[in-house]
Amino acid sequence: MTFLIRQTLIYAVPLMIVALAGVFAERSGIINLALEGIMIFGAFVGVLFVRILQTAGWFDIAKEAENFLALQGYMLLTMLAAAAMGAVFSLLLSFAAVNLKADQTIGGTALNMLAPALVLFLIRILANQNTLQLLSGDAASWFMIKKTTLGFDKSADLGFFGETFLHKVYLSTYVCILVFVILSVLLYKTRFGLRLRSCGENPQAADSLGINVRRMRYAGVTISGALAGMGGFVYALTTANCSANGDVAGFGFLALAVMIFGNWKPLNVAGAALLFGLFKCIAASYSSIDINGDGVFLLANLGINVNFYRMLPYLITLIVLAFTSKNSRAPKAEGIPYDKSTR
Amino acid sequence: MKKFLAILLALTMVFALVACGTTETPAEEPTEAPAEEPAEEPAEEPAEEPAEEPAEEPAEEPAEEPSEEPSGAVDPETIEDNMTSEDGTYELAFVTDVGQLKDKSFNQGTWNGVKAYAAANGLSYKYYQPANGDQATDDDRYDAMKAAVDAGAKVVVCAGFLQETALKRAAIENPDTMFVFIDGYALSDEDGNVLTNVAPIAFKEEQSGYFAGYAAVMEGYTKLGFCGGGGGTNPACCRYGYGFVQGAEAAAAASGVEEVTINYSWQYGSSFSASPELQTMCNGWYENGTEVIFACGGSMFASIVAAAAENDCDVIGVDVDQSYESETVVTSALKGLSAATEWAIAKFYDGEWADIGGVSVSLGVNDDAVGLPTDTWSLENYTVEEYEALLASLKSGELTIDDTVLEADAVTGVELEHVVINYV
Repeated sequence: MTFLIRQTLIYAVPLMIVALAGVFAERSGIINLALEGIMIFGAFVGVLFVRILQTAGWFDIAKEAENFLALQGYMLLTMLAAAAMGAVFSLLLSFAAVNLKADQTIGGTALNMLAPALVLFLIRILANQNTLQLLSGDAASWFMIKKTTLGFDKSADLGFFGETFLHKVYLSTYVCILVFVILSVLLYKTRFGLRLRSCGENPQAADSLGINVRRMRYAGVTISGALAGMGGFVYALTTANCSANGDVAGFGFLALAVMIFGNWKPLNVAGAALLFGLFKCIAASYSSIDINGDGVFLLANLGINVNFYRMLPYLITLIVLAFTSKNSRAPKAEGIPYDKSTR
Repeated sequence: MKKFLAILLALTMVFALVACGTTETPAEEPTEAPAEEPAEEPAEEPAEEPAEEPAEEPAEEPAEEPSEEPSGAVDPETIEDNMTSEDGTYELAFVTDVGQLKDKSFNQGTWNGVKAYAAANGLSYKYYQPANGDQATDDDRYDAMKAAVDAGAKVVVCAGFLQETALKRAAIENPDTMFVFIDGYALSDEDGNVLTNVAPIAFKEEQSGYFAGYAAVMEGYTKLGFCGGGGGTNPACCRYGYGFVQGAEAAAAASGVEEVTINYSWQYGSSFSASPELQTMCNGWYENGTEVIFACGGSMFASIVAAAAENDCDVIGVDVDQSYESETVVTSALKGLSAATEWAIAKFYDGEWADIGGVSVSLGVNDDAVGLPTDTWSLENYTVEEYEALLASLKSGELTIDDTVLEADAVTGVELEHVVINYV
């Protein structure tokens, strides 16, 4: 059970944070199809940043001094760097969509095509290969929080809660959840959030009340880019051994699905991401999931074909969407470039 | 201000696009490899430093002990990958398998052999990557070989058994060019005549796998895992797995271990690439007691090592010594790619090509082409001396490894008393 929860979180957190990125953009009226591209770019920037720190020797110093707080600090710094570059990258989209009033779907697709090409090009120059990996060590050995890093003995029993949430986890998971909560509150409980949302529903009305629609849309997409960039790095860190290869296994697009599935509302999005993460996890590790801890691997013993489990996440999405999509309600003005004259 | 910003962004966009455009012509590559997932084929893995390849003199004997340090010779890693010849022709050519050149394993190991020979003898050399990365078609591979021949190659080294169809065509069309077929077998034309300009070189991976399995159980591991690449269709990976299980069985019998369980899987490895799913699966194994996993397939290594590091467990590497890659690697099942490549090229230049052209060679312990890395030995309960004794008994024929059903995705040819295989 602890294993299941832990793994589910690892899949769900990048999905959740990137889906929230989508929410921010779309709520401000811009369709951000470029989530995938920004994630790829963010993952690349993050890994590159870690490598630079490693080259400078910071990591080895921290490791020798057993200063695990410093390592966690570097990780947070890296997340920030990935977020910043993701935001910069997303400016391309805002520029095309807001200033040039271009078609947002095409702009997003262009970024999706640009990102992997650009990233692979840079990786080839930097590393003369197709994957940018850590200079030394593994993601888990640098960044993962384990019992031993917290000062407990290796064999200590921390109870269900401790075993699940304090052992073999990444700090990034909790940072993402925290960011998710803060930004959700920002979107719903602040003046800024209300203004942002109004620009996605009826920008003409918002403008007539003195809200700068352009600025709001820029803000929405930039926040979106920052979140997606950060999500990209978190993905690379937790599921790809902190390596970048111009690919995030379609997580950006999955996040779009999660966003629609979550009806553009943060709480629903979180639920959708968890559901999706759970089934992704089951699909990959059904053979070693022991739900009640009695040593019986129920799912493996059922004798169901492997491929059925692999299909599950997609099957579930189809089914759930079929039942819930009637109620789905996209922001009204999304995808329409704001034109003052149509007021 | 706004205008300025607009111009700045437009410039960024332009530069980004320009940068993007340049990808089309990455400097030297004649045949474009659109940088794909490192997905190579016969069981190989990213190993930080295939420096262990012996780089030995072109002697009669193939492949020296692969674990030997490059005794005094130049480290092939330090030889430039790209060289420019004065007359624009390149005598030695290397056509990569799927995956990238610098995969820290199969391609890189073979390439190091080409480079080492070329550097030692002052020859020109060049590598060719078939277009479309791991989606390369036979035509893409043929085009790469054709490009090599057109550039004046005398010997073309082709890595990976997937090259068969393309190689056959290229070899028939260019009878005066010699081809080395790594991980391959003898080819013949339509009339059944063996192509004597193709020198096939294969390895006895089952012996290497046997050592790995034996060492693991002797070391005290009782719960093992095997993650193979190629979805069970890659002969080299199948041989590794087949030997691994037998080695574990023999060690259990010898040391009196009652039961050894092996999780045996071909899942998530069909393209030899790393994936979150593979990492989760291995995480699950480790979580449930598996102590060491034999990572037998290209870049799958990255996912398996990530899972091992999360759980403080261990990994056995493949093809080259991968202990430089991660602290979790306890040992590696080796095959002497670089040495064998050099050996084959030397045959051509020594005028002895007839010895190997069209003759299937399978290099094993007797050629010192397979084994475990003794220089970076980190096992504690199983010593180098014990390993060398085992090696000697296999060499002398005292010990035999069953090879009745070598190339299947399940271990069916041998009776297992102590080992329980759990097919995942």
